[in-house]
Amino acid sequence: MPVHEPQPPSPPTRVQRRRTLLTARAEPGVWLLGLALIASVALVLGLVAMIVVKGSATFWPRPVDRVEMRDGGVLLGVPVAQEAFEPIGPLVESLAAFRAADEPPIEGAFDERGRPVRRLYRVANKEVMPEPFRWVPLWEVRRVTRPADAALVERVEWGVWLGVPRSIFEERIASLPEGAEWTAEEAGPAGRIVREKVGEGDGRVLVRERRYVAEGPEAAWAALPRAIRAGAARRGEIRSLDRHGLGPTNRRIEDWRLRVCGAELEHARWRDRRAPWLSVPLLGGVVAACLASAIGAIVARRGRARSLAAPAWCLALGLALLGALEHPWSAPSMDEPRLARVRARADAALADLTGRYERTLARIEELRREDGAHRVEFVEATFGQAAGERAGRPERPLLLSQVVRAVRANGLSPAGRVGVYLSRWREYLLDGPRSNNIEGGVFPVIFGTVMLTLLLSVVTVPLGVVAALYLREYARQGFVTSLIRIAVNNLAGVPSIVYGVFGLGFFCYGVGSFVDAGASEAARLPRVPWWWIVASACVLVATAVSCAGLARRKPGQDPTRRQRIMGVVAAAAWLAAAGLGLAALATTPYFHGLFRAKLPSPTFGTPGLLWAALTLALLTLPVVIVSTEEALSAVPRSMREGSFGCGASQWQTIRRIVLPAAAPGIMTGTILAMARGAGEVAPLMLVGAVKLASELPLDADPPFLHPQRSFMHLGFHIYDLGFQSPDSEAAQPLVWTTTLLLVGVVLALNLAAITIRARLRARLSGGTF
Amino acid sequence: MTHAADPTRTVTPREPVRVQRIAAAHGGGRKYQVIDAIRRGDPVEPVVHEALQREEAVLEVRGFCLWYGRSQALHSISMRVPRGRVTAMIGPSGCGKSTLLRAVNRLNDLIEGVRVEGAMLLNGSPIYAHQVDVIDLRKRMGMVFQKPNPFPMSIFENVVYPLRIDGESRRGVLREACERSLRAAAIWDEVKDRLNESALGLSGGQQQRLCIARAVVADPEVLLLDEPCSALDPIATIKIEELIHEISQRYTVLIVTHNMQQAARVSDYTALMYLGRLVEYGPTADIFQNPRLPETEDYVTGRFG
Repeated sequence: MPVHEPQPPSPPTRVQRRRTLLTARAEPGVWLLGLALIASVALVLGLVAMIVVKGSATFWPRPVDRVEMRDGGVLLGVPVAQEAFEPIGPLVESLAAFRAADEPPIEGAFDERGRPVRRLYRVANKEVMPEPFRWVPLWEVRRVTRPADAALVERVEWGVWLGVPRSIFEERIASLPEGAEWTAEEAGPAGRIVREKVGEGDGRVLVRERRYVAEGPEAAWAALPRAIRAGAARRGEIRSLDRHGLGPTNRRIEDWRLRVCGAELEHARWRDRRAPWLSVPLLGGVVAACLASAIGAIVARRGRARSLAAPAWCLALGLALLGALEHPWSAPSMDEPRLARVRARADAALADLTGRYERTLARIEELRREDGAHRVEFVEATFGQAAGERAGRPERPLLLSQVVRAVRANGLSPAGRVGVYLSRWREYLLDGPRSNNIEGGVFPVIFGTVMLTLLLSVVTVPLGVVAALYLREYARQGFVTSLIRIAVNNLAGVPSIVYGVFGLGFFCYGVGSFVDAGASEAARLPRVPWWWIVASACVLVATAVSCAGLARRKPGQDPTRRQRIMGVVAAAAWLAAAGLGLAALATTPYFHGLFRAKLPSPTFGTPGLLWAALTLALLTLPVVIVSTEEALSAVPRSMREGSFGCGASQWQTIRRIVLPAAAPGIMTGTILAMARGAGEVAPLMLVGAVKLASELPLDADPPFLHPQRSFMHLGFHIYDLGFQSPDSEAAQPLVWTTTLLLVGVVLALNLAAITIRARLRARLSGGTF
Repeated sequence: MTHAADPTRTVTPREPVRVQRIAAAHGGGRKYQVIDAIRRGDPVEPVVHEALQREEAVLEVRGFCLWYGRSQALHSISMRVPRGRVTAMIGPSGCGKSTLLRAVNRLNDLIEGVRVEGAMLLNGSPIYAHQVDVIDLRKRMGMVFQKPNPFPMSIFENVVYPLRIDGESRRGVLREACERSLRAAAIWDEVKDRLNESALGLSGGQQQRLCIARAVVADPEVLLLDEPCSALDPIATIKIEELIHEISQRYTVLIVTHNMQQAARVSDYTALMYLGRLVEYGPTADIFQNPRLPETEDYVTGRFG
């Protein structure tokens, strides 16, 4: 008998350790990833560094060169750039002539490879120079000096003037008795006095008398600071009178005119009023019907017929609306005597205001005459012309009050340079723009940007949070909610200019003109059909409420077929009621606009801050909705259940538990929305940003906030400076500075929001309250 | 077999299995009559000890069934929770004890597609009825969850949250209620100096006791505890058990637990559930020392389950 040998236990098969695959080692990949990261960081840093360097260099005072050419020409200019180049055209001959003449070139006229070099000078002096910048081939230059008395003059108008100060003087017309002794020139207490006869009449001689305050560059430089300060004071006084004296008076005159217009419109309505004897029965009927339906509604609610309550309430509300709109008992009371009284009061007020206006105007005129006496001569080098009062009158020297700043470019100490730099920054940040936005400051621009961003977040955040709350907390998750979510996400990808077009069409021209003048003539319905619409809307609401009541299911039960159908019917009825409500609003014969008296010039029916904010709010809404939804879904379910377990309602749970816990996430959404909104330009061009807004959207005139005004915006300002300005080459440094400022503003807004978020987080994650 | 496949088998009602006490027989798969019947999907009648008949019920469950969508989680449960006692519900995972507990304060309403049949009465008033305001209903109970879930607020605000949502804002009343329930939850001495600090800074055991304090601050009719110690370490567990023992003097407690020893230690009555059905329900001492079903005996001694 074969004996089965017990098999020796086979040794456990050892798993063969295979070698580690090369692909398992990620080092090459890691290097690549690192490189990609370095590349992106370098890009970002490069961007920021370029903006900072270029943006902050704009205001640094640069030296002024006096360039004497071999052909005898002279020019004053600020060197901007320099490059080696290949001469073409007439320059080839000039270069050949220079080489033939064998004269020594100035230093740097040829680079180390022997190529000719040219230098770009900013020559400014718009009135006399054909172009603001000029390329100068250096071999044509005989000598370059930096005269110590050269001035770079920033003027209120006409930009920069490069010249040498010659004199400061006061010039007045004096009238002397005929035959009186007068000398053509004499020495005065401060300088020469020069007189010139300009006319005679009525037995008197008119003499133009010029009293020199300073003559010669050195004396002029010494006297300039005081003279410029005094000029600035005079300019400020005139401007302040203009703004705070004339402006409000003008506005009040306009107000009175509008009041008379409004009264006349009211009077027209009074003339077509219906028979007043209708009032009492109509009023009585409406009140009785309202009371009856309200009582019916209450009784129905108490009793068993609950489903009757909703229709009863709708009837009561509809009747109340009818009463409020038809209000025959309060027909317009603007009869003839009242209109006459309004007119009389307006006339009296207008007479008073016009008098005040004239007086202010006369005072301004007087100040202007006095201001016209103080003048300064800055002589440029090429033609020996002094800066003129304005382009058309070069023979009248520059007004001192037109000088914003005269920089002695080559005679500045380092501290002086810093002083000029800082004072230019100060002007840039705190003043308004002048001379085509190229000069002056951008305060209204910053203000407009910040206002717009704040206003848009005030609109978009509540709207987005509420939408996300409903979508996440209340709505039943299903096909429709997914559809809405997809739609919202897609909305984030729509090109922003599309929003601009929508904003212009819908907000400005649609809603805006509705606010101005009510429904347009074409859309306005007569009374009876309109009331049919309202009545059907009421019926639909009642149906919806009743059906919703019938669709309520028993706790813990699946909805029956009938309840499902009722639910669908209720939703459809709500939708239809909303549609009819909107239609009723758009065709109402009762609303005639809030700014009808101002027509045809629109108030809200035109691009403005409010519409821009609403358009951008729409644009940034998806950002807020998505991030709020994420924040809400990150709130743990256990916290919600705990709150429900304590007997909190859903709303209490949301308000006290969910929203505070989600607040940091919501703030993140707000930050993103603000950043996106602040940097957006394309839609703003359509809905309200302008090149120059004369008034800020927030000022001391009631009602203080003027959302209908157009505004200035940094993004648009950059575009305007760089591409739309007539002098875009001169504006280029400012483009960089404005970009730096835009980055700074966005950064500041974000930092503020991030600080708030950090505080919220700290509160949530422990620590004291 | 999971209960997900169960409902397909419940269609044909069969003769209920009459349960006799089977002597501790050995060998063969026929040992567990009731469990096998449940596994087959046959209707069974639970063994309910007579001692329960003498108690006054705070909560009465009558033929209660619950479906998550199409799968049935509770099968015709009927039980009475006696007033002023601690009642423990034990059973293997997925047997529906947590579901039953959450059905008591209708937290299951929050889940889409839950359907119920049968009735529950809290002190005689129905829980599942058309006119019941679920918010008012939940105010009558306190609930403590498996994981401590303090709200992101101060300790004080956490405890008085149920009063706050009812509009109580008198500082004195709130302070007094806070101290009373923190003392009841045996955590007063630990937190009395930092009532205004965030509750999230407490340890797990402290957080759970805080949740108990929150659950009892409004004097609930029933206190529902859903595995209150499963996320805690042994020391914290002992503290909570002592606490349950303490508050059982004043409140009716319904506790779900996985831990047999815990049920034996803290409860007066114990109910064993299996696959959505009640198996045996009686005084804890009887269930653990003298059960009527061999299944129960084997479950509580760890030989089954």
